[in-house]
Order: sequence, then structure tokens, then C-alpha cells
Amino acid sequence: MNLTPLWTIACNEWRRLWHARVPALLLTVLVTLWLIAALAAHHHWQDHARTVAEVTQRSQQDWQSQPARHPHRVSHYGDFVAKPLHPLSVIEPGILDQSGHLVYLEAHRLNSANFNPATEATSLGRFPLMTPAMIVQWWMPLFLIMMAYHTVTAEKVTGTLAFMRGNGTPGWQIAVGKWLALFLPLLLLLAIQAVLTWLWSRGSDQLALRLTAMLLAQIFYIAGWCLLVVAVSWHSRQLHGALLTLLLCWVCICIIFPRGLANLAQVLHPTQPRAEAEYHAEVKLKTIGDSHNPNDPHFAAFKASLLKQYAVTRIEDLPVNYNGLLMQEGERLTTEVYREQQALHDQQLARQNASIRLWCWLTPALALQYVQMASSGNDLAHHQAFISQAENRRYQLIEYLNSIHSHKVVHADDKNTRVSAEFWQQAPRPAVTLAPMSVSQPSLQASFLILLGWLLLPGAFLFKVSQRI
Amino acid sequence: MKHEFKLLLKQRSMVALLLLSLALTALSLLNGWQNIQHIQAQISHAQHEEAQRKQDFVHLHQHEGSLDAGEVGYYVFHHAYHQPAEWSFIALGNRLVTPYVQRIRLLGLQGQLYDGESHHPEYVMLGSFDYAFWLVFFSPLLCIALLHDLKASEHQAQRLLFLQSLATSPKHFWFKRALTRALLITATFTLPVLLFAVIHTLSVLPLLQVLAISLLYILFWTILCAAFSLRARALNASFNALALASAWLLCCVVLPNLAQLWLHQQFPLQDGSQIALQHRQLVHGAWDLPKADTLEPFYALYPQWQHSAPVTDRFHWKWYFAFQHMADVRLQAQVTAREQSLLQRDQATQQLGLLLPSIWVQRSLENVAQSNVTHLLAHRQHITAFHSQLRHAIYPALFDEKPFTVEAFRQLPVFDSQHTHE
Repeated sequence: MNLTPLWTIACNEWRRLWHARVPALLLTVLVTLWLIAALAAHHHWQDHARTVAEVTQRSQQDWQSQPARHPHRVSHYGDFVAKPLHPLSVIEPGILDQSGHLVYLEAHRLNSANFNPATEATSLGRFPLMTPAMIVQWWMPLFLIMMAYHTVTAEKVTGTLAFMRGNGTPGWQIAVGKWLALFLPLLLLLAIQAVLTWLWSRGSDQLALRLTAMLLAQIFYIAGWCLLVVAVSWHSRQLHGALLTLLLCWVCICIIFPRGLANLAQVLHPTQPRAEAEYHAEVKLKTIGDSHNPNDPHFAAFKASLLKQYAVTRIEDLPVNYNGLLMQEGERLTTEVYREQQALHDQQLARQNASIRLWCWLTPALALQYVQMASSGNDLAHHQAFISQAENRRYQLIEYLNSIHSHKVVHADDKNTRVSAEFWQQAPRPAVTLAPMSVSQPSLQASFLILLGWLLLPGAFLFKVSQRI
Repeated sequence: MKHEFKLLLKQRSMVALLLLSLALTALSLLNGWQNIQHIQAQISHAQHEEAQRKQDFVHLHQHEGSLDAGEVGYYVFHHAYHQPAEWSFIALGNRLVTPYVQRIRLLGLQGQLYDGESHHPEYVMLGSFDYAFWLVFFSPLLCIALLHDLKASEHQAQRLLFLQSLATSPKHFWFKRALTRALLITATFTLPVLLFAVIHTLSVLPLLQVLAISLLYILFWTILCAAFSLRARALNASFNALALASAWLLCCVVLPNLAQLWLHQQFPLQDGSQIALQHRQLVHGAWDLPKADTLEPFYALYPQWQHSAPVTDRFHWKWYFAFQHMADVRLQAQVTAREQSLLQRDQATQQLGLLLPSIWVQRSLENVAQSNVTHLLAHRQHITAFHSQLRHAIYPALFDEKPFTVEAFRQLPVFDSQHTHE
């Protein structure tokens, strides 16, 4: 098969684009926009990274400089954990601003992540954020439309298309040639962005995997848009009609559908407010066992089994501190209930996600965004993984403190005892790390499937219209 | 005029576009309404529950008609409601993120004030589909679609010279043509709002404001598009569309982003987490300090209690609540500074709005909807005032070491959720 006509067509297209001047201008504008976005996103990332570093350092310092204290005081003093950031957040900050970046770990409380800048944003915060990912997701297709809406329509209007077909060039060769002419420059831009990103974030966690997923999704997405542009351009009889149709597609795919879907999900499956969830957890705890109530059946049974285990009759005779054990048992119960509550909340969010995914095939832009967010570690799955890691750390820490309470504090003089600060300094506080990319697997799978469909659908459309003259 | 309408509405694509716009405007209003209804329902549910829960507390904790004031302060949660205004559905603003029911107790306020809501973060990130969004982003696009080829389409149909020679006053002719289109666009945005206001019998003043804002914004884009597409050499429709779309891009995305960047540079804001960390340090540090270190500054603030019996035991509720409050007092300067920078940011946004219509519309609509950052700050002030009221209601029982009667408990202030931020 002779493929040279493909290249001839592509080269001719490039020549035409070059001579038209406007496309070159648009490309320059696109690169400038990318630079602005990269600058803004970098600034944004730096802000977050600084906050995370400050919080981590300060919380570490505060923890280490605690004086001798009663263990239960320490478990209420608690610990702060900041959400780790992946350097790829510069490309796609995702839910960074909305999710909150700090969790307070405390005994018998499950605190959610607090302090999201979105709460305190002025009206300017309601405008879509410009980030390198956004440039690929929104502006690249838009500029592509502006540059190339007339690529085939113009040939039709001037009659060159009929001439080429008359010369025996098959329709598909013209289509592929045009497509290559549009796609290759953009591919080059994507590759440059990927290389720059790689250089910038070298050595970060799972970089190769994350960057590949991101690049692959971007390539699929842009390739799909190129197919759509050529197809619509071929389909239209008038230049103007091609432009308007493509702009309408862009507005729907990039702006209306993503917002519309998210809002629909929220309306169909509203989340329970946090105040309610907290209250229900408290009520549930009271019914399971109230450690403050001396007649509570659960704790009475707990006490009886303990006395039996150590073969004593009074708690004062126990070789360990009864209050500490009581705390331990209480912590076990509260943690169970709070984790249940968290799971319930996650379930609500999962239901919303499912409803978004059901309709996501309407908008490959959202699919691309899911992949970009997953790759940069700023999607819901990563956030939930962070919350559960923080919760594990909390439980481990409180367990340790309670065991010190049980074994290092004498029951008779419980309230007045202070335990040496050394114990706090040795407490288990495993660093919270960024979750592996595999946590977002369901959303990645769905998104890639949609992006593949996004290649097939306009591809089939193009194949069909390219049979016509 | 009549003929212009007829001509325009004969084109099927025009009718489709206008109907689509009409439908989506209605949808944006409905969606905003639905969100606000959900918030309202949750609030009234929580209000009902709050009364119930307080009664349960009395039932469980009373001993012969009185309660322990310390326990009341520690265990009883009071709800603070971020009640939406009547017109909040028009622009959801930061109501999407701020908690609409917050649980407040008598402990240090700075440790409670910033609790986040458990929303879906991806949803908040994608943004709300409310009227403000729809107007700011889509009325310009509709103007561009309908007005960019005023001259060019006639030129392409080779009627332009004919038309201009025929009309007695070409200026008047083009004015009429542009006006009909602008009127239709305005109708697709304002009619649903009017209808909505009538159906739900909403108050008139905000309605007029919303209509005026919509009208002005559409007028701005109409003038821009008409001026551009009626200039002497505006014969290439596609070029017009590209240029106007670029203007839209600049106005609705690029410039607001740059403005935001400038704003953050100009008015830096201490991260809220710093306050939380310090608050914890102050509250928990107090346990290790001599009691006098807390109580002396506290009595300096509240001299009426300075003759309260000295705390000699290891623990006393009045000392406990005193150090909780002192932590708030010590952080007050930083909290105020943060508020100041937020207000400055908002002021600057308002001034930027005078330069950029898109920002002006967004901010004005959020003002009508009372969902701007200023309203959040007012809400926080309101919570602070409520917290003080509560403290002042419980302090007498704590510091005079009197029993806290059930009657006094019933008299405790309740958060006034109908309070409007003016």
C-alpha cells in the first residue's frame, strides 16, 4: 500500500495552515496560555506545598516538645496530619482546593479534613481555574476548532476535494492525511509538556506510571477531537456551519455536561450533612456502651471478664490500670462506629460517582479529567485513602497511649500521674504517604473505556462521511 | 420589528438555539432551587432535632431540677445554621462548601468554627450549574452566535448592497436587527426568572436586581458583538466568530484567573490550619500551667467574677472554660487579621468587577444571593456572637458555683437562623 499520499496531504495542510497566518498565531496564543496556566498552577502548588510542610513541621515540633503529661491528656492533645502532595499536582490540582488538607487526630473522635481554600474564595473563585490540564482539556480542542474547522469544508467549497477524488485518491487517505496534519503538532505539544513535567518532577512517587496514564489519556482525547473536527468539517456544506456545529459540541462536552452531571448526581443522591452524621455516631455509641455509666451492661460485662481473667475481686487489685483498659475498650468501640460512619459516607459518595459514570460517555472531557486527577493524586479515591491512612495512624497512636495508661500509670494515683515525655517521643506516628495510583483503578478503567469510545465514535463518523464527495 | 422577528424565527437553527437556551436557563434555576431546598430541609430537620436532643439531655442529666453547668457546657451541642436567603438559588457561591448546620459547644470557638462539610469534593470542584454560571458563561456565547454575522451573512447571500441602498436609514435598519436579537436573548434568560419568581411568589426587589444585572450584561455583549460585526470590513463571518470567541475566553476565563493570581499575591492570607495548630497548643498547654496563669487574665476580662472562689483542686469546670476562652482571646488578633485580608480580597474583587463585566455580574448576583465570602464572614461573626451569648448565660452558674436550673437551661439562647446579613 502506498502511503505517500498521506504525507503529501498532511504536508499540504501544514503549508496551508502556515500561509493562513491565523493558525500560527493561535498556536502562539495557546502556548502563552499554557505558560500562564503553568505559572498560576505552580504558584498554587507552592502555596499548598508550603502549608503542608509548615503544618507537618510544626505539628512534629509541637508533639516532640510536649512536657511530661498524663497519657489521656496526650491522646486529647492529638496530632495533626497534612495531606501529602504529588508534584504532578502542578498539572492538575484536582480537588486540592476543595477537599481540605489537614486532619486533626484525637482520641474518640473522627475528624474530617478541614481548611479548604474554596470556602473562603471570593467571587473570583467561581471561575474555572486555569491549569495545564485545563489547557489540554478545554483550550486545545477549542483552538483546534478555530484553526481547522474549515479544513475539508474549504476544499469542498473550492472544488479541490472533488478534484482529488477524481484523481483516484481514496476518501480515507484524505481523511487520515488531514487528521495527521492536525494531530501531529498537538501530539508534539503534549509530548513536550510530558517531558517538561517529567524533568520537573523526577524521582517522585510512581512517576512513570502516573505520567504515562496522563499522557495516554490526553493523546486519546486530542486524537478524538481531531477526528471530530475533520469529520464535521467534511460533513458541513458551509464554512460557517462547520464552525458553529463544532463550537456547540465543544460547549456541551467541555462545559455543560461535566457541571450538569455533577449537579445531577448531587440532586439525585444528596449527602448527609456532617453534623447529622456525628450525632448519629454518638447516639449509636451510647446504645452500644457508655463507659461513663457505671450500670452500663457492656462495660459491666467487660469489667467482670477482666476480674475473672486476673482472678481478683476488685479493680484496685488488678496488676494493670483499669482506667487505661477502659479507655482501650472505649476506643475500640468508638473507632468501630466512626469507621462505620465513614464507610457510610464513602458509600454516599460512591453512589454519586456511579451516577456520574453512568452518563460520563456524554463527555470525554470529564473522563480525561478523572484520569488526570487520578494521575496527579488529587481525586476522591486518593483523598479517601489519605483519610483512612490518617485514621489508622490515629488508632495506632491512641492504642499506644492507652497501653501506656494501662501499664505505666498506677490506678490509685491515676489522675495525678505524669508520664515522662520520652514516651511521646517514641510513639508510633507512621508518616502518611501518598496512596498508590491503584486506588483509583475503577475510575481509571471507566475513563479509559470512555476515551476509547471517544476515538471510535468520531472515527466511525469520519469513515462514513469520507465516503462522500 | 415584526418582520425582523418573523425572519429570525423562520430559521430552524435559531429557534432550536433559543429553545435550548430557554430550557437550560430553567434547568439552572431548578437546580439551584433544588440545592437550596435540600439545605432548607436539612436545616429544619436539624432544628427539630436540636430541641429534641436538648430535652433528652435534661431528661438524662438532671438531678432534682438542676444541672451541672460544666456538663451543659461540655456535652450540649448547639446548632448554628447557615440559612439560605430567599434568592440564594440564583448563585450558590460558597454555600456549596460551607457547612449549613454546625455544632457548637462552649469549648474554644476557634477549634470548632472551621469544621468542613462532608460534601463530594469533585462535585464542588466542577462547580455548580446555577443561574449565575449560566448567565456569565452562556449569554455572551448566545450573543456571539446570533450577532457575529449581521453584515457577513447578508454579504454572503449577496444582499448587502441591495439592503443598504434600499433602507432609508441603514443605521436604523441595523439597529432594529440587532435589537430584535438582543431582545430574544434577553427573553430566554429573564422569562424563566420572572416565571420562577411568580410561581414561588418571591420578593420583588431582588428580582429587579437580578433582571437588571442580566439586562446590563446582555446589553454589554450585544453592543460589543454588534459593533464588531457591523464595522466597515466585517464581511468574514468566521473571523468575527473567532475574534469574539477569543474576547469571551479572555473575559470569562483568562482575566479572572490572572486577577485571582494577582489578588493572592497582593493580599496574602495566613492558612487557617495555623490558627488550628496554635489553638490546640494554647488549649492543651493550659493544663500544664498554674491555674492562676489562666484565671488572672480571664478575670481581667471579666472583673465581675474575680471574687469567685479560688480553684484549688486538680480540676474545676470554671478553670476549664476559662482557658478554652482565653485561647480564643489570644488568637483574636490573628483571626481579625485573616478576616481583614479576606475582606480586602473581596473589596479588590469588587473593584476588578468595575473593569470586567463577568466578575461584576458574578459578584453582584452572589450579593443578591447572599452567598459571597462577606456573608460567610458575617455568618462566622454571628456564630461568635451566639457563642458569647451562651458563655455569658452559663458563666454565672459556673463562677458563682450555683446550680444551673432546668429553667435556666430552657432559657439558653438559640441560634437565630432567620438573621439576615445586612
